[in-house]
Amino acid sequence: MSDPPAAALVEAYLDEVAAGLYGPRQQRKRILSELRDGLGEAISDRHVDGLPPDRAASAAVASFGSAEQVASAFSGELATGYARRAVIGYVATGPLVGIWWLLLLLPHPWHTGLVAFITAIPALPIVALGIATAAGVVATTGRLIRWLPEAAPRHALAATAGVAALAAAGDLFMIAFYVQSGVHAEATAVVAVSASLLRIGCGVHVIRRCHRLSRMLARC
Amino acid sequence: MRPELLKGHLDALLLAVLEDGPQHGYAVIELLRAGSGATIDLPTGTVYPALHRLERAGLIASDWQTVGGRRRRAYHLTAAGVRALGEHRAVWDEFSAAVTALLGARPRPATA
Repeated sequence: MSDPPAAALVEAYLDEVAAGLYGPRQQRKRILSELRDGLGEAISDRHVDGLPPDRAASAAVASFGSAEQVASAFSGELATGYARRAVIGYVATGPLVGIWWLLLLLPHPWHTGLVAFITAIPALPIVALGIATAAGVVATTGRLIRWLPEAAPRHALAATAGVAALAAAGDLFMIAFYVQSGVHAEATAVVAVSASLLRIGCGVHVIRRCHRLSRMLARC
Repeated sequence: MRPELLKGHLDALLLAVLEDGPQHGYAVIELLRAGSGATIDLPTGTVYPALHRLERAGLIASDWQTVGGRRRRAYHLTAAGVRALGEHRAVWDEFSAAVTALLGARPRPATA
């Protein structure tokens, strides 16, 4: 696209689309790159058909739909992309938090079995529920949608907020349990509590993003 | 064509367009338009999300290339996409035969 007015028109259009996109930065960047390439092709086609560069650019932009229409069409994919990224992040980093609590509150060697484990780490049922919810989000938004019902973007966001809330509840529960247990403060405890507090902070951020994306979806 | 009539069929149409080989997004959408004799003429920018969803489902895959200084995303069918297209075709053959049998029939003369 060598014509400056045509290039300016395309960039103005893409800026308008970008202003309506909410979701993971990399995903938005890829969407805009793809649209820019498509618009370049559309302008070339119209130029070959005999239109001057500025009219070719106007016609190409018009054929793509209004910026609002295009941004709205991407809202579901962006919301689903965010939900998947967030829950995969929770599943991947969960053990990094859990391991410290496990090291700190490990059951006594001759107390074995599930009951002894849950007594030592009482947040395990909450963690299990969180993992099950996260697995549900990943399964119903990825390749398995060929066989499973696909989660609507707003449901994926709600479930993601649920995973974040469960993780935060589990962390708060473990911190409260540790404070009440009277176990002596030690380096492991400092790391475990810090990791949980960090995850609670991330959880608040995730819940707010899910809420914002849900509001954007409702407007589309 | 009313956009709601395409609901449920757009995935199969996009897979069919990619059957002959890899295409970049704009080419896929243009082939969809040209292949349907311009009957399917959706705003171009609104078709890209359907391609992204097919990729998320593992029915197509994409590669980024740099062409003439522009980043270009080329899509191709995966093995699962080829199977899914075959299934879509079988379902469509059955469905269209049933609809044609009913809608394509000439009105019967009124009986006395």
